[in-house]
Amino acid sequence: MNSNPSERRGYRRERKAGHASPPPRMSPITYGLPVYELLNEDKIEHLHQASMRILSEFGIAFYDEESRSILKEHGAKLQGDVVTFEPGLVHEYVGKAPSQFTQLARNPENNIVLGGNSMVFAPVYGPPYVLDLEERRREATLADFINFVKLAYLCPYIHHSGGTVVEPTDEPVATRHLDMVFSHIKYSDKAFMGSVTSAENAADTVAMAEIVFGSEVVRQQPAVLSLINVSSPRRFDERMLGAIKVYARARQALIITPFILAGAMGPTTIAGTVAQQNAEALAGIVFTQMIEPGTPVVYGSFLTNIDLQSGAPVFGSPESQLGLYVSAQLARRYRLPFRGGGMFSSSKIPDAQAGYESVMVMLPTVLARTNFVLHAAGWLENGLVSGYGKFALDCEVLGMFHTWAKGLDLSDDSLALDAIAEVQPGGHHLGTEHTLRHFRTAFYRAELFDYNSAEKWQENGSQDSYRRAHKKVKDLLAAYEPPLLEPAVEERLRDYMALRKKAIPQGVY
Amino acid sequence: MSEELEITELETSELLEIIHDCLYDGMAEDVVAGVKELLRRGMSPYDTLTQGLVAGMDIVGVDFRDGILFVPEVLMAAKAMKAGMAILRPLLAETGAPAIGTMVIGTVKGDIHDIGKNLVTMMMEGAGFKVVDLGINNDADKFIQAVREHQTDILGMSALLTTTMPYMKVVIQALKEAGLRDKVVVLVGGAPVNAPFAEAIQADAYCRDASVAVQTAKKLLAEKRNQVMVG
Ligand code: B1M
Repeated sequence: MNSNPSERRGYRRERKAGHASPPPRMSPITYGLPVYELLNEDKIEHLHQASMRILSEFGIAFYDEESRSILKEHGAKLQGDVVTFEPGLVHEYVGKAPSQFTQLARNPENNIVLGGNSMVFAPVYGPPYVLDLEERRREATLADFINFVKLAYLCPYIHHSGGTVVEPTDEPVATRHLDMVFSHIKYSDKAFMGSVTSAENAADTVAMAEIVFGSEVVRQQPAVLSLINVSSPRRFDERMLGAIKVYARARQALIITPFILAGAMGPTTIAGTVAQQNAEALAGIVFTQMIEPGTPVVYGSFLTNIDLQSGAPVFGSPESQLGLYVSAQLARRYRLPFRGGGMFSSSKIPDAQAGYESVMVMLPTVLARTNFVLHAAGWLENGLVSGYGKFALDCEVLGMFHTWAKGLDLSDDSLALDAIAEVQPGGHHLGTEHTLRHFRTAFYRAELFDYNSAEKWQENGSQDSYRRAHKKVKDLLAAYEPPLLEPAVEERLRDYMALRKKAIPQGVY
Repeated sequence: MSEELEITELETSELLEIIHDCLYDGMAEDVVAGVKELLRRGMSPYDTLTQGLVAGMDIVGVDFRDGILFVPEVLMAAKAMKAGMAILRPLLAETGAPAIGTMVIGTVKGDIHDIGKNLVTMMMEGAGFKVVDLGINNDADKFIQAVREHQTDILGMSALLTTTMPYMKVVIQALKEAGLRDKVVVLVGGAPVNAPFAEAIQADAYCRDASVAVQTAKKLLAEKRNQVMVG
């Protein structure tokens, strides 16, 4: 033993005081495994050429006049709503996008790098329902929204606060984006996502980010990252285009994501669906660079299929995983950060289906070296539900990926020949100097997965992981303490919201 | 009907069976040939519709619901049905037979999710309804204009976003103001929509999926027509 008694006493005190300190943080994963390349370069080129044909011959519809005139001015061709792009034009403008950028967080320690070997995990996005701690499926509220922001803040394996973690359906539609942005800022100090449901909402998001970070600062580096969906097949709608224009002009970061349910919005084959997706993503990315060259932009893919028997969306299908690998390869071909994957499932509750499906998608997500993983925790029922218990369980697996994706350390200390020499044949490693230096952090310790004997497990109430997850969520929320937010900043944010809530017409609903 | 089969030589009951099979297999031309043959034999347009097409599509509907048929097969069947209807519709109008019904459908303002609406359109056409598909992103004016223009029996609205769902209420309000609310059955659907919401906005029903939309449309329309006759 190399620790003296007084040090150990200090350690005991430290341990007891543990919960008062800020939540543990993990940096985004620096990917250390070989990147899984499903196709060789020639084949990727083949897909690229197919996309170029789609772009130059079939075109993409842009449902917004100003957007079409911007595209035309920069050399794209119009035919009604449909815009075509020559390959040269695509290369020229895609080349202007940065291959890597940093998104600012309120706490600079939580700034994230998007691109390269960095992998960032963010919570589920979009569900209008929650599966709550009483196992009720009900409409989500602002209180749920705040809870999920808190959970993402507290989970060390989630690096980003996300966006619409749930849809706060109890707030008026016209102004709820203000409450969402404010809650991300107030209850977390991680980076967050902006509103995309209209140009006005996007402008509000930028204004609030400027209050927090300063307008000069956010022009230099983005403080908002926003999710633009392509309305596949081959169309951008007015709302998304409105949001693109506002964010690109303010130099805030965008993720351009075609969201294709193959069989309905794309062909039934993954090759064709990826070719279409690639064309759609590139069209959006080119557009961002025409508005403002150098706008930070992420190449997004959200690809799965419908069940062609019932017509329902399917999440976690094996075909989607093949699509994910290839999409990531294409993003790398264009030297763009990549968004894809997540802990997807079609299951209604966090059961075996949910666990298997989620991991079946998350493995390729990691092996493809996805830079931004939205929906990394909480996703249920095809994205209609954010599950509290599922969130905690997913975080457990994300922790495992943190260990695994770093790869293998081959340093002398890791090879541990000293320790091997120290232990005689048939001895044990429990007390070697090497073990004593490493034991605390040597192995990932799952909190929610049970490693006890059957007897002990029974003694503990024979709980399954779902029950344990619920308890963990309750404990986390009970112990939550907000990160510091300067009172003057908070006041300015509140003033801004009050002003806007007065100004925005509530409409009939 | 395949070349070898001489349909003029078949018993009428056999011919009906064959039309059912052709609908099931999505063979539009053969369905059209079968319909023409039934009419040639003097079957009324109404009986041709109910015994030939509707009965055939009922089989398709059941097998879709039971997980035997796939969506593309139902689509082909619906197309075949539509082809048969194209012949029957003017004749039905001439003879004053009750039409199955006309539906106006679209996604509401701000919403571009249209795959669900497309499935509903397909199934409704398959059941013999005339469907006027307004596409995506429709404001109240467009719905109302279409309802007026097309002798509409059913108005279907689809919304997938909780931010656009409330707009369904706006449309229903506008229908009332235009004096049209009692003239149409209003059906709503979309993944986040549910029955309590439909009730709250005073729609006539919520439809979980496309098959339910067809059943509900038929049921409510029949009830409505009964009421009119009684009242
Ligand atoms: C008689 O009238 C009737 C009767 C029955 C009716 C009916 C009408 N309409 C439907 N039915 C019923 O019958 C159909 C057949 O059985 C069924 O239709 P469904 O539409 O339910 O089912 C279809 C066959 C298959 N299902 C679908 O096609 C929808 C699937 C999900 C995953 C979905 C998709 C695919 C898309 N999306 Co969107 N999308 C989601 C959806 C989540 C989900 N699980 O539903 C949802 C609805 N989307 C969401 C969001 C947030 C968004 N989407 C957006 C965009 C898109 C795509 C364009 C990428 C794409 C749609 C492409 C297209 N061409 O339609 C954006 C908004 C765009 C806009 N202006 O509308 C955007 C805002 C995302 C963004 N940041 O850009 C979420 C809604 C959250 C909320 N607030 O309510 C969401 C729950 C997913 C999520 N977790 O984010 C029944 O509901």
